[in-house]
Amino acid sequence: MKKPLLVSFLLLTLILGACGGGSLEGEEVTITGALIGTDQDGFRAAFEPFTEETGIIVSYQGSDNFEQEIQIQMESGDTPDFALWPQPGAVVDAANRGYLTPLADLDIDLDQYQNDFSSYLVGLGTVDGVIYGGANAANLKSIVWYQPAEFEARGYSVPSTWDEMIALADQIVADGMNPFCFGMYSNGASGWLATDWMEDIMLRTGNGVESYDQWVNHEIPFNDPIVKNAATLLSQIMHTDGYVVGGTDAIVSTYFGNAQDPMFSKDANGNPGCFMHRQASFITGFWPEGEKEGAGTITTVFPFPSIDSSLPAAALGGGDMWGAFNDRDATKAVAEYMLSAEFYNNVAIRPDNARLSAHTGFDTSLYAAPINKILGDTIAAALSANSFRFDASDLMPPEVGAGSFWKEMMNLAVEGPGYIDTALDTVEKSWP
Amino acid sequence: MSRNTQKWYDKPITKLILVSIAFTWIFPVFGFVLSSFRPGEAIKRESWWDAIYTGKLWTELTLANYSEIFFADNLDRSFYNSFAVTIPSTIIPITIAAFAAYAFAFMEFRGKEPLFLLVVASMIIPLQMSLIPLVQLFKSGVEIFGLPIIPALDINGTFVATWFAHSGFGLPLATFLLRDFMMSLPKSVIESAKIDGASNMTTFFKLVLPLSVAGIAAFATFQFLWVYNDFLVANVFLGVYKPENLVVTSHVSQLAVGAYGEAWHLRTSGAIISMIVPLTVFFSLQRFFIRGLIGGAVKG
Amino acid sequence: MKQQTQQEKLKSIGISMLALGFFPLIWFLFQAILFRELTEIISRNLLVVFALIIGSTFVFLLFLGMDKIIKLSPKENRESLEARMFAGPSLFMIALFLFYPAIRTFYISFKDRYSNDFIGFENYRWAFSDPEMLVTIRNQIIWLVFVVFFVLLIGLVVGWLSDRLNKGEAFFKSIVFMPMAISAVGASAIFKFIYEYRPPPLTQIGIINGIRVSVDRLGTQCMNNRIIDGVFNGFDNPNCLKPIGWLQQRDMSNLPFAQNLNPNGFVSSILVNLPINTMLLMVIMIWMFTGFAAVVFSAGIKAIPAEIMEAGQIDGASELRVFRSIVIPYIKSTIIVVGTYMVVTVLKAFDIIYVSTRGDLETNLLAVKMLDEFSKYRNFGRSATVAVLIFVCVLPIIVGTAIRERENTQS
Repeated sequence: MKKPLLVSFLLLTLILGACGGGSLEGEEVTITGALIGTDQDGFRAAFEPFTEETGIIVSYQGSDNFEQEIQIQMESGDTPDFALWPQPGAVVDAANRGYLTPLADLDIDLDQYQNDFSSYLVGLGTVDGVIYGGANAANLKSIVWYQPAEFEARGYSVPSTWDEMIALADQIVADGMNPFCFGMYSNGASGWLATDWMEDIMLRTGNGVESYDQWVNHEIPFNDPIVKNAATLLSQIMHTDGYVVGGTDAIVSTYFGNAQDPMFSKDANGNPGCFMHRQASFITGFWPEGEKEGAGTITTVFPFPSIDSSLPAAALGGGDMWGAFNDRDATKAVAEYMLSAEFYNNVAIRPDNARLSAHTGFDTSLYAAPINKILGDTIAAALSANSFRFDASDLMPPEVGAGSFWKEMMNLAVEGPGYIDTALDTVEKSWP
Repeated sequence: MSRNTQKWYDKPITKLILVSIAFTWIFPVFGFVLSSFRPGEAIKRESWWDAIYTGKLWTELTLANYSEIFFADNLDRSFYNSFAVTIPSTIIPITIAAFAAYAFAFMEFRGKEPLFLLVVASMIIPLQMSLIPLVQLFKSGVEIFGLPIIPALDINGTFVATWFAHSGFGLPLATFLLRDFMMSLPKSVIESAKIDGASNMTTFFKLVLPLSVAGIAAFATFQFLWVYNDFLVANVFLGVYKPENLVVTSHVSQLAVGAYGEAWHLRTSGAIISMIVPLTVFFSLQRFFIRGLIGGAVKG
Repeated sequence: MKQQTQQEKLKSIGISMLALGFFPLIWFLFQAILFRELTEIISRNLLVVFALIIGSTFVFLLFLGMDKIIKLSPKENRESLEARMFAGPSLFMIALFLFYPAIRTFYISFKDRYSNDFIGFENYRWAFSDPEMLVTIRNQIIWLVFVVFFVLLIGLVVGWLSDRLNKGEAFFKSIVFMPMAISAVGASAIFKFIYEYRPPPLTQIGIINGIRVSVDRLGTQCMNNRIIDGVFNGFDNPNCLKPIGWLQQRDMSNLPFAQNLNPNGFVSSILVNLPINTMLLMVIMIWMFTGFAAVVFSAGIKAIPAEIMEAGQIDGASELRVFRSIVIPYIKSTIIVVGTYMVVTVLKAFDIIYVSTRGDLETNLLAVKMLDEFSKYRNFGRSATVAVLIFVCVLPIIVGTAIRERENTQS
């Protein structure tokens, strides 16, 4: 008679205990962002082990109209728990308007966070010393895609300096081919590829990282000689006859996601349309199906060449940053998980994944795609050495970074080198 | 006499112009539809007209693009969602507008003209402008001078929010069209009914409504197509961050865009899948649609 | 006696408030709350069924309920009460969902970025001085003029000519009418496929570029990368034409005929500066709406009494003459209605630009610019200002409709 009672008592305490410990069981946390398609699948997969462990149901839904919808939701006070922005500038903006919860209120160990993701990256999501943004994924932009086999067959060697790259380009033109692929059309964001080029050049000229930061913060004017020099170098690529396959028409008209395709297509003589394509790490997601597998082997990258050899190496990149809209317990748990090194494990093992963890302690050997391992290591090393710099156009005020800078780069491509001064002056004038 | 004594050159020229216009109209769709049956790699390797010319087209036709989208996870759920949004969002504004149209057409009341102008004017308010105030309203209600008029409802993310939103956006055009339509009905019939002592409710339900079927069907088609094809309102009010609330248009566009780059095989088949319902509705109600529009717009 | 009228009056006011304010509100709230609670408790599939039933029937309860209440009121007031009851809910929703936001927008247009401080007419000064805004306004005007003109013109031609066919009239009209059922997003995808551009060595899959690069010039075999007998035939020869990114052309300078034009001549300078991309985007809208116009016009033309038409033909007037002096005047009011509708539609045009170019390379329109200012540049004051501009453009239309309404009711 006594035993069943004892057993049931024990059972009861067990159940109660379990309930007390797992009180977040069944709680739902919603996240929205701009990731759709395979990126969305990957991001959702990242939460599977978390849900299994804690019972918190995390639902992510991306939208190709995210930018607009999140503005409406914030203004109306009807937000999800998290939003994942493709630019830290938007996180800062939302924080300035008072919509976001500081990471400190989410019980995040801030020192650990800075240590894991580098104080530079954390600083991008900080307003007046308060940290609002959670770094998530990163991408690497200081890379040039090329096909080693095509280089070897023609006796070309990988350039390590700008001058070598120009010499190689001249060589290729002399051989009757085109060295570069370059396409910067992008619905509503046309021109960003040229701003990326400018940024990479800026990091390697003037005072390197230092003058880059001054440029981003408008401590030097947009028409400063350093910037003008960068624009001149870029114009050399865009406007030298024969450098870009298809000429300036192609630069302006080619959708950035198609820009690499000439490299993969051989003409009647077996020559590819171009040999070098400077584009970010995520571009593999846009490659034709048959070429994706060869990323890192058949088609791989060399670092963007150095220009001023006295400057230390630097890496340009971009990435996603999240902000939290409340401090529920479930939100806290999810925030903590997203900042852990394990968060990316389930994403990395997907063969179609083109996103990289921004966590410096991430185990890069987990990446299924060979190219991601190379790129992941580069990012982690650059972050640790504080030589990683975020895409400047994402950090500038939107009127410039998503407006005049893009637009004037398009105009520059069309108008030719004589337009450099006008372009830079126009951007300078538009700075709010 | 008019139809068979036309000058000899009239007819061929008429036909030529019409055939070329019809050809111009159908041609863009042709290549698009064809490409939805071709594998993605083939679309990029060879243009569709070259493929027809070389005859390769017939060997490569496939339904794979359609099945890739059609059997995507939960697309059926999105179809149900679309109907749950669309059908009430069509019925509610039509009913409300029909009553209002009756009042504007056959009843006398103070401020009738300025109020009707208000309806006309509201047709041009871009709905993007109303989104924020409406989301706020549905979330936390409305207060005027501290007096709560509408309490905090918190209905964003439910179907009912989309019904109200779409009803609001559709009402001006519906009221305007139906009133025009009812004005074209023989006035004497309605007046004699009133003299016979029939109440307005009776006149409305027994007389005006049956006579206005064509006008109502026209607007119903209009509103149905518009609501079904919309994704902005659905995304905002159903909440994009809830995957279970996706509507078809939004879902398909994600499937097609999600593949990145030049996924023309998915973009074409996706677009066609999301056109199935509107085209079916359109062609089955076309007769009403045309008659209804005519009743409203054509006055001698 | 007087006392009683007073009482009656009070009663009718009470009832009218009950029927027009309170009851719609109750209906609105009841439906909202009921459904919100249902969403919480019942399963998804059941929810969809409930949604269809509740959403489709409750609105009738609103009117039946109001009718019941109004029946309680004294007879002499009933007519006007009923009128208010019939029109009330529609006006209630239009006011709450459209006018209240519109007034709010007007107010915000005088405030700064985040609507904190008043800045007077600063946003309006920006709207008429910012180069990008000026281009957007220019585009909006081009769209208004050309889209409305061509929709009316082609609509009239199709409506008029299809009427003369012995058979196949319905078929032709259906073809031209069909795009009405296609969303702007779908239509834009269809046309983007035609305008598609791929960088040079690649096969052109958009038909315009496909034909362009296949043109044989100076005896050079140019082909769109077709393989004939195992031999690759491309257009990489310098003598072959290069493809053009049609939606990226801001002017005609890439077309051979424009290059030979004198850039200083008045007419030729206008020709050279024609924005190709904007014109090609307008084609999408014309394609979508011409059928609508054609169908309405065709009905109008059919309504012309046969005697009038015959009289014209007996006089020996040419087709064109009959068309101009009989048909057009007869269906004038129909043309105005369709034209009004088109002007409003063009001013609200949004999806086409939003999904095809997003306003890049000087293709923007006001409605898209409004959203860009809101979500891309995050400047709410400017966004509101652009919205107000859209309003102002439609003001003449409202005035015109008002005048027409007055004439109609008087005649």
